[in-house]
Parts: sequence; structure tokens; C-alpha cells
Amino acid sequence: MTQLLPPIGAVLPELVLAISAIVLILIGAVRGEGSANLVTGLAIAVLAAVGVLVLLQPAVEVTAFNGSLVVDAYSRFMKLLAVLGAVVSLIMAVDWQAREKQAKFEYAVLVVIATLGMCMLISAGDLIALYLGLELMSLSLYVVAAINRDSIRSTEAGLKYFVLGALSSGMLLYGASFIYGFTGSVNFLQIAAVAKEPSFGLIFGIVFLLAGLCFKVSAVPFHMWTPDVYEGAPTPVTAFFASAPKVAAMAIFVRVVIEAFPHVTHQWQQIVAFVSLASMVLGAFAAIGQRNIKRLLAYSSIGHMGFALVGLAAGTPEGVRGVLLYMSIYVVMTLGTFACVLTMRRKGQAVETIEDLSGLARRNPVMALALGALMFSLAGIPPLAGFLAKYYVFVAAIQAGLYGLAVVGVLASVVGAFYYLRVVKIMYFDEPVDDFDPMPTELKAVLAVSGLFTIFYFVYPAPLIEAAGAAARSLF
Amino acid sequence: MTLLLVVLIPFMGALLPPLVIRSGRNTCAVATGGVTLLALALLMSHAPAVFSGEVPKAGVDWVPAMGLSLSVFADGLGFFFAAMILVIGLLVIVYARFYLSREDPMGRFFAYLLLFQGSMVGVVLSDNVILLLVFWEMTSLTSFLLIGFWTKRADARQGARMALVITGGGGLALIAGLLLLAQAAGSYQLTEILSRGEMVRASPLYLPALLLVLAGAFTKSAQFPFHFWLPHAMAAPTPVSAYLHSATMVKAGVFLLARLWPVLAGTEAWFLIIAPAGLVTMLIGAAIALFRNDLKGLLAYSTVSHLGLMTMLLGLGTPMAAVAAVFHVINHATFKAALFMSAGIVDHEAGTRDIRRLGGLMVLMPVTGTLALLAAASMAGVPLFNGFLSKEMMLEEAAHTSYLGLDLLFPVLATVAAVFSVAYSARFAIGTFLGPVRGDYPHHPHDPPLGMWLPVAVLVVPVIAIGLFPGPVAGPLVALTAAAVIGGPLPDYHLALWHGITPALVMSLVAFAGAAALILAFRRADALRARLPRIDAKAMFEASTGMFVVGCRRSLVALHDGALARYMGVTVATLIAVGGYGFWSATHGAGTRPPLPVTATALTAFLALVLASGGVLAFHGERLTALILTGVVGVVVALAFLQFSAPDLALTQISVDVVTTILMLLALNLLPKATPREQSLAVRWRDGTVAGLAGLGVAGLAYAVMTRNGTSISEYYLTQSKPGGGGTNVVNVILVDFRGYDTFAEIIVLGIAALAIYALLDPALKGAAVRRIKAMLPRTESRDAHPLLLVVATRVLLPLSLVVGAYIFLRGHNEPGGGFIAGLVVAIALIMQYIASGYGWAAERMKVDAQSMIGAGVAIAGLTGIAAFAFGRPFLTSTFGYLHSPVVGTFELASAMAFDLGVFLTVVGVMLLSLAQLSRVAHRVDPSPESREPMDVQLERTVPRTAGGES
Repeated sequence: MTQLLPPIGAVLPELVLAISAIVLILIGAVRGEGSANLVTGLAIAVLAAVGVLVLLQPAVEVTAFNGSLVVDAYSRFMKLLAVLGAVVSLIMAVDWQAREKQAKFEYAVLVVIATLGMCMLISAGDLIALYLGLELMSLSLYVVAAINRDSIRSTEAGLKYFVLGALSSGMLLYGASFIYGFTGSVNFLQIAAVAKEPSFGLIFGIVFLLAGLCFKVSAVPFHMWTPDVYEGAPTPVTAFFASAPKVAAMAIFVRVVIEAFPHVTHQWQQIVAFVSLASMVLGAFAAIGQRNIKRLLAYSSIGHMGFALVGLAAGTPEGVRGVLLYMSIYVVMTLGTFACVLTMRRKGQAVETIEDLSGLARRNPVMALALGALMFSLAGIPPLAGFLAKYYVFVAAIQAGLYGLAVVGVLASVVGAFYYLRVVKIMYFDEPVDDFDPMPTELKAVLAVSGLFTIFYFVYPAPLIEAAGAAARSLF
Repeated sequence: MTLLLVVLIPFMGALLPPLVIRSGRNTCAVATGGVTLLALALLMSHAPAVFSGEVPKAGVDWVPAMGLSLSVFADGLGFFFAAMILVIGLLVIVYARFYLSREDPMGRFFAYLLLFQGSMVGVVLSDNVILLLVFWEMTSLTSFLLIGFWTKRADARQGARMALVITGGGGLALIAGLLLLAQAAGSYQLTEILSRGEMVRASPLYLPALLLVLAGAFTKSAQFPFHFWLPHAMAAPTPVSAYLHSATMVKAGVFLLARLWPVLAGTEAWFLIIAPAGLVTMLIGAAIALFRNDLKGLLAYSTVSHLGLMTMLLGLGTPMAAVAAVFHVINHATFKAALFMSAGIVDHEAGTRDIRRLGGLMVLMPVTGTLALLAAASMAGVPLFNGFLSKEMMLEEAAHTSYLGLDLLFPVLATVAAVFSVAYSARFAIGTFLGPVRGDYPHHPHDPPLGMWLPVAVLVVPVIAIGLFPGPVAGPLVALTAAAVIGGPLPDYHLALWHGITPALVMSLVAFAGAAALILAFRRADALRARLPRIDAKAMFEASTGMFVVGCRRSLVALHDGALARYMGVTVATLIAVGGYGFWSATHGAGTRPPLPVTATALTAFLALVLASGGVLAFHGERLTALILTGVVGVVVALAFLQFSAPDLALTQISVDVVTTILMLLALNLLPKATPREQSLAVRWRDGTVAGLAGLGVAGLAYAVMTRNGTSISEYYLTQSKPGGGGTNVVNVILVDFRGYDTFAEIIVLGIAALAIYALLDPALKGAAVRRIKAMLPRTESRDAHPLLLVVATRVLLPLSLVVGAYIFLRGHNEPGGGFIAGLVVAIALIMQYIASGYGWAAERMKVDAQSMIGAGVAIAGLTGIAAFAFGRPFLTSTFGYLHSPVVGTFELASAMAFDLGVFLTVVGVMLLSLAQLSRVAHRVDPSPESREPMDVQLERTVPRTAGGES
């Protein structure tokens, strides 16, 4: 049966985003260059409102557009997380844009459009909706990576991301067409109903599809763009890249393998386990030699995606719950870390090397403490939130019998601890260098919330775990 | 529940010292001590129960879904360790009150100390393995805060960092180990795990779990090969050293081995790994300690050695050795903490810790001297002190140990270690306190205030008491703790001073004799050592981490060098690898569909295609050649479409090809004529190989699909085209009807693309871009830019082309053609006018604005769709129903054609807009006056080209 109009409530967040994006473009176009602050402010308000709308959606599973979009507990959880990442990274961009004289209203609009793409992606119930959401998100990201047109690094980052992104989209489409060809459907649930046997063509399709998705979550060996783009893009953009799109891409990654291929679990499990392993190891080892903090965080994010994928490799509800928890904690930690990176400005100039943090503990003890806690947490040291994140995925992997993966993961985190602790060492034990410029209030707030969450999450983790558990169960 | 409070009170109490520090340093110390005392009192309230054999438990659920609970239990082992931690903590607090100077931030120090204390108590009392892990790493973190307390000193920083890297990393390995252990035992509760030793040892996870647990325990307890971090952490203030690095934290590893003894011990792997590691640590630590001149360094290596001793005993795996290990933990904690505090007093009073600048202090500070000598005697293993007893037990065990058939290995090496042990104890005692009084101490040493030596005295009391009356004083505690470690019946042992003439006694005597010789010949031994190659484990650690960092940088970081080609290569190569793996590991074969017959024409076209494609590769540096060859490819593809009965596609292909080639030619005029070669031959070969393999892969896949019979949707379109869409040209019906929505979106995209070309070329109209393009322009130009023949031909062809366009447009619905192709044909005709007579001439006569044309096209197509609403149909799909309606049957063609008209207009507009902007750029860089004439054959154009590129 053909549905002409979807249930409005189910797609309300997306509708609000789409309409707002158009309105914001018009405001920006009519009011011209000086409208950046107004548009950014409105965009923040819109994103916050969308977050509330997602939160208010009733806890039932609704499908729209003949199953193309699915609104369930899982999509609500991930959307909330993606919107959180988007809104916080946009807030963090305000002061930076003003200082760099890079106030452009287009940035906020593109973030809103990218968020729309993410919401569609997270809710996608078939391969076509997946592709549409993915491209809407990616195209916006290509542009924001190069938003600082006068910087060679920024434009180069955008170009590289675009070329490689186009390649990966091509692979994804190739895979999707294989899957369609061998199952006769694009809808995840219908694919699952047909794909009971691992046929050669189906496996090929899955490989190509997952290759495209791996690119988006920057999993090895499709991660090559990450360091260059993280380093080249303006820092608030990098903060955005590191948070919201990762959530959305991981969300669809999980949804597509769990919902569409439950009968060929063994096959995709091998792929996921491999990229997870490779990401953890490469992320840990490659980060060691880095001096630029943005590049360091790029490799760190590659590693973290590997850890999150450990949960997916388990292929169980517990594993998916682990992925959700990992992504939640990861987003909070990342945003807090980038609040610090954005503060790294000296006499109006942004500085990016790790050595610029030297002796921070004596210059700004509170920031050093918060960043130190985040680093310990990223390293996965108990009892900080990052430890529990790793714990959730590793337990799931062990329960699923993936002992090797869990052990290699832990060993990779040992190597990873080496470079996170190096940052701590530099902050606490090296001779202080000049002070940073004063930290804007909104960055202070982000850092404070992130730091406190990281330190005290272990006291009362139950609500998040329950929400993630409910979200994970809605996929099975 | 009070047991849980024992763990929590130090954490809550940690808030107190910073708050009360304003009321004075004494208040602060009293508050800290009070907190510790309260925890100790609560612990002691369980003492009767523990001693009567019960195991008090307490706990609250934390995250039951995750197997996390905040549960603690106090069996003999946990109780003993907790008591030890709290008692020594109390003494350290008293000591620190007097040790810290007025400038030191005491509130912070005590807060950290309490946090550490709480973590440590948590480690030993945890019932949940995850909780244990949490506390375990918290000891690392809080010790980091404590060690880093003296941040001004460079050595303190290095020490702290190394300590953190090693113990933190080990802790992470321990996480994996304990998770595997819990999996093997099927529970996260230690009490459960401890009762399932058989099950764990039989599990395949036993060995990995053991190795990972050992990585955690060995790093924490500074066992070989991780023994080097501990001495370097000694730059910390003395109270910290005394507390962390002798009495408590470094014992956590030993504690863990003891804790898991019932589960993990008793296997070959346990003995073969742990016992020699402990033995080597004991030997190396003792040997290095002897030659240390820094008092704290000497004590630090001595601690390493003693930890090795305990580890070795636990590693032996026999109940008797376990009893000895437990006994030695008690003894070591007392005498070593006392010695550290004494060393701190000496440092405080004499102003140096260098043994070469000390001596004779016995006279100046008799109280400290006496206490230190007593403790040192115990460390040496002199009879009548507690150190003697446990060392005898160790030697006795070593004497009966055979390692891999080597009967003498353990006894001999243990004796050698004992020699060194006695020797360094003697050196410590003699070098510091005995001998003549010197006149060159940095300060004027005298006995410290009571508060500083009293803790030492308190610790020396058990040293002597146990040494004299081991049975009555330590017996119950040893029995209780050992029973908890062994988890079964205790072996037949008795703690006594005199066991008769045993192998151990002989070994002890040998040790004393050897040590005496060693001390007498110390100068010669030291000189000998100085001549030996120095093995500096710390430097090796630094060097190896340095090499590690450089290695990572050279390999992995260099891999990400920013070259896009490499990044794409990695991506594609991965897919080839995966595809290849899939190909070889699965069953496969060509399909059953018979191939079409090969005709001579087809073969020729195919060869042309191959040659042209190869030519593009070979000549891609010369852009014009490459463009021409691409054109050939396009033509062959169009022919192929024709061959497979797809005239629409062929028409589209050929017209698109012509238009793009013309536009590209115009663009090429403004670009460098050749692509610079930036890559070496090797790189090109690499890329060529990857690309070739990928091509083969895709070709193989295409072959596999095409040789199979599949159901296709084309049948549906063929049958539905006429009844459903009203046209017999299926391609056109699909475009304007079945998939009209797609087409609508496509023409919008096309329009946007034209606007993007317009916008992107805009910067080329001014500034540096214009200068760059000028520099690239050829210096000579054809004299006859607008040749007569071309002008005449295009004029004649224009009406003809327009008619052909209209014809193609009109027949589109039923025969090959349609708005898209018609638009391209008309666009070609118009572009030819521009080329023939120049942009200025043609633009004057072109009255329609390209942007408006695009807008009109999109608007017409959109309105056609919206018109459907009037008939109660959804957007665009209405055409379907609309056509079926018998009433408006006459309009059926008109509706589809209106849509097609939109397509037509958009296509023409897009082409003209691109052309216009390209011409503007060309005009800007070539400022020669635009000719108003249609051709320049009649006037000799001799305008000198001034813009040759010199700019």
C-alpha cells in the first residue's frame, strides 16, 4: 500500500531541520555577510529544538515512506547523540569564528543540513534512504571541511575528503546494487527475509557496502583521509567531524548489518572484526609519533572507532548496547577535548602542537585537570567514563567468544595510553610556556560538563545503560 | 555495611584536609589521621569475626546488568592487607606532618594520600573483579598525583611519567586478564571465582588470562623485566616513598598473586613463569642495591629485591612457600617502612642522602640511629629479628626447588641474592650511622622531633617482637592470612627461631660470610662493577620507547603522507585483496548464458575502444590528444549502444559527447597544454598495477553477472510503456513518465551545475588567476580565427539543425529522440555560431538569457507536475492517470511534451551559460578588441599580441 503522506510526528525533527535550513539560507542571503551571528544563533536554537523533539517522540516504533524511514528507540537514541554533537560543536564555533574573522552564515546552515542528513541516515530503513542520508551529510561535510576558502590546508582537506568520499560512495552504491541484485529488495527487513544463505554475490555486496560505511566512520583501511582532514579543517569543523557524523555513520553501520543481514552474521562479523582490529592497532601506533594535537586526535578517533566496532563484532544486543554506550561517552569526551584544543590560542593565533600545552597545570590548573581527566578517560583508565565504555564492548566481545579481539583491543589501549599520558606529562611536568588567551565562557561550560561527566559517570551509569539497552533491543 | 564504609571513608574524608588546612597544620594532620583511624576502627570491628573464620561481606548493586556491584569482602588476606595499609598509613600521616615544610601545600598532600589509601583498601577488599580493577588503576592515578607532588624537580617528573606508563599499561592488561578470568569462571565475584579453581585451570582461557594478569601484577610490583621504574619513582617525598613504594602500592601485585593463588597457582605455567621472574628480580635488585650511593635508591632496589622474594615464593606454588610469602609480607612492611622513614630523617637532618658523605651519625642522632640499625639488621636477616625468620623459610623452600631439572639453580642464586642482601644492609648501616663523625655534613644533624621518630619506633617494635617470639606474636595472623591464600588446609609449619641445622641455616651462614668478604672488598668490587658494561634499564626503556616512537613515525605516520593517490591506492588495493580472497575461497564459475556471436564490425569497434582507452592512458599528459581519444571512446560507446538496439542511448551519447568535447576544447584553451609529471616511474607502475587489477576485478564481476540469466525489470517497461505511458519509445516514456521525478530532479541538478560552473569560473575573471592564464596562452594564434568556410557552413546549418532539433523533440515519445537530445542538438548548433563568428557577434544576436532559460525549463517541468494536483493526483505521477482518462485523452501527448519542453530548455540554457562564462574568461585574458564582424577574412588582423604572458 502506498502511503502518500507519512505520519508527521515521525518525521517532525527532519521536517523542522529541512524547513529551517531553507529559512536560514534565505535569512543569510537577504541580510548578507553580517548575518552570521544571527543565523548561527538561530541554527543553534533549531538544533536544540530538534533535540527536544526527538526526546519527545513517543516510545513506539513507527515507519514512514513505506519503510524507508524507521523511528524506533534506536534511532531516537542516536539522533539525540548526533544532534548533541552538532549543537555543541556549533556553539564552540561561535567564538572561534569571531576571532578568526571567519564568520560565515553558511557554516551554520551547512551544519543544519548535515544534521538533517544524519537524522535521515540514522532512521534509514532501506538502502536508498541510507544513500540519500549519507550523501546529504557527506556533501555538507565536504563543503564545511573547505569552509575556510583562503586557507590552502582547509581547501586541500575538503578536496581530499571529497575525492575519497566520492570513491567510497561509489563503492557503497556498487555494493548496494549487488545486494539489490541478489536479494531483489532494498528494504532492510525484506533483505533479511531473503538473504538466508551467504551467496557469493551477497557477500560481495556486503563487502562493498561496508567499505563505504567504514570510510564514513574512518575505520582502517578506509581511514586515510582522517588525519589530513582533521588537521586541515578549521578546528571547530574538526570538532564537528569528530562527533556528530561519526555517530550517524556508526548508527547506520550497526543498523544495516543487524537488521538486513541477521542470517549471514558470521560473514560480516569477520569483516567488522578485521576493521575493528586494524583500527585499534593503527590508531594506537600511528598516534604515537604525532606532535600536532589535531592529528593526534584524528588517529585517536580511528582507534576509538575500532573499539566501538568491537561491540558490533559481537553481533549481540549486548554488543550493540556497548557500541551505543561507547559512542555516547566518546562524543562527550571528544567535545570536551576539542573545547581545550579551541582554547589553544596565543596572542590571537591558534596553536596546535602538543608542546604548546607545556606546564598547563601551572598556568591554568582547572583546564589542565579537566583535560588530564579526559586524556585518562580516552586512554580507558578506571574509573573514568572511557574505561566503562571499553568495558562494555569488551565484555560483549568476550561473551560472544571473540577473545582474541578483546585481548588485542586491550593491548592496543595499552599502547594508546602511552600517547594520552604523554599529553598529561607535558601538561603537568614540563616547563610552562606563555599563557593562552582567556577561555570563552561557552568553551568553559562545555569543558566543565564534559570533564564532570567523564569523572563522575561511574557513580550513576544506570540511566544511560538502560536507554542504550532499550535502543539496542529495538534492532533485534 | 560497615565494611563498605572502610573503603568509602577515606574517599569522603579526602575532602577534609583541604578544608581544615586554614585552621593549621596540626588540625589538618589530626583530621587526616582521624579519618584513617575511623576506617581502621570499623575494620577492626570485624576482627573477631574474621579470626573466628567468618568472611564478612557487604555490598550494594551498582550496575547489575553489567555485572558490576559495589561489593567487598574481608577474608584473612584482605583483612590483613587492609589493616596493614591503614596502620602504616596512620604512621605515615604522623611522620608527614613533621616532614613537610611550611611551604608545602599540606592540605592537598593529605587529600591525595587519603584518596590513595581508599583506593588501596578498595583493591584488597573488593569482591567484584571490575571494582578491583577500578581501584587498581586509581592507585596508579593517585600515586601519580603524590609522586608528582614535588613537580619542580626534573627527576620527579621523569619518574612519575615512567611509573605511570608502566603501571598504567600493566593495569590495562590486567583488565583483559581479569575479564578473561571472569569469563572462564563464569562470575565476576571474586568469592565465586576463588571456589572455581579447577574450572578455570581447565579452561582454554587459562593461559592468556594468566599472562595478562601477570603483566598487571609484575608491572605493579616492579618484577623483572619491569623492575626499573620503582627506583626512579623514589624522587617523591619520603612519606610517599615509605607508604607507596615499600609498604602498600608495590605490594598490590604480590597481593594479586596471593589473591588469585587458589585459582591460578599449581600449574606448570604458573611455576615456570613466576618463580624465575621473582628469583631474577630478587638477585638483580639486591646486586644493584649494594652499589647505590643514594640511601633511598639503595632502599628502593632492596624493595625490588624483596618483592622478588615474595613473588618467587608465591610462584613456587606450594602451600609452604605461600605461608613463607605471607610471613615475609608482614615482616618486610615493618622493617622497610621504618628504614624509609629513617632515611627521610637523615635526609632532613643531614641535608644529604649520599652514603659517601654520611657516616658517624650514631653519635649525633642516637635515637634514629638505633632504630635504623635494628630495622637494617632485620633487613639483613640477622637472627632475633623478624627478617631472619621469613628469609630462612624462603631459603628452605629454595633449597628444595628444582627448575626444569636444574637442582642447583634456585638454591645457588637465592644464596647469592642473600649475600648481596646482607651486604647492602651492612653498607646502609655502616655507611650512614657507624664510623667516625664527620665535619662536612650540609646541615647540623640531630635527632628530629618525637613526631618523626615515633612512627619509626612503632614499626621497630614488631620487628623485634616477631623476631623473638614469632609464634605467639605473628602466629595467628600468619595462619589466618595463609589460610585465605591457600584456600585449603594449612601445611604443617611452625614459626620458630631454631629449627636445627637445616640447609637454610647453612645458606644463611654462607650469606653472612660472603657479605663480610664483599664489604671488606667493597672498593675493589665497586671498581670491578664500574668496569663492567653498565646496563641501565631506565636508559634502555627510554631508548626503546624512543625507537618505538621513531619506528611508528617512520612507518605508520609516513604512510599518511598526504598524497591523495596513495590514499586511493590503499582503499582500492584493500578491496582488490578482499575481492580476491572472496574469489579464491568461494565456488564460482562463468554463467550459463551463451555469449553473443562476434562480428567483424564489433571486433573492430572493440579494438578501437581498447586502443583509444590505452591511448588516453599513454598520452594523458598531452591534454588535446587525450581529449580527442576520449572522443573516440565516446563514439565507440555510442556505436555499441546502437549495436544492442538502444538508438536513444546512442543519440544521447553522441550528442553529449560532442557538446562536452566542444566545451572542453574551449576550456583547454585556458589551461596548460600538458599535465606536469609529478610522480616517479615506480609510483606510476604501482598505481597502474592497482588500477589494472581493479579493472580486471570489475570486468570479472560484470562478466559473471552478464553471463547469468536474471529476471529483469525491462520486460515490465516494454509491456507497460504504451498502455501506461502512452508512448512506444520506452526510454523516453521512462524519462518523462515512469521516472519523471528523477528527470525533474536531474534537470534541477543540471541547472545548478551550470550555475556552479558560472560561479567557479568567476574568480578566473580577475587578479592572479587572469595573470596565470595569460601566462599559459599560446603566443601565436591563427590569423583566421573566424574562417569564411566555417561561418558560411554554420549559417546554413543553423536552420537545418533547429528543424532537426524540433523533429527529434516531437517524435521523442514514440521514436528515438526527446527533449534531452533535442536540447543538445540545438545547443550544438548555437555553439557553432559562437565558434564561427566569435562570442561578441553571436551574443548580440542571442536575445534570450541563458539563466532565464534554465529557470523557465525547470519551472515548466515543475508546473506540469503540479498541474496534476488539479486532477486530484499526486505530484507528477498524475501524468499516468491523466493519460488514462478518456475525457482528456487528446491532451495526453501535450502533458508529456510540456515536461519534455522543460527538459529541452534547461539543457539548452545550461550549455549556453557554460559557454558564455568560458567566453568571458577567454575575453578577459585576451584583451584584443572583440570583432563586431561575423568573420575576419576581409580584414587582415595584425593586432600585435601584447599579452604574451610577461606579468
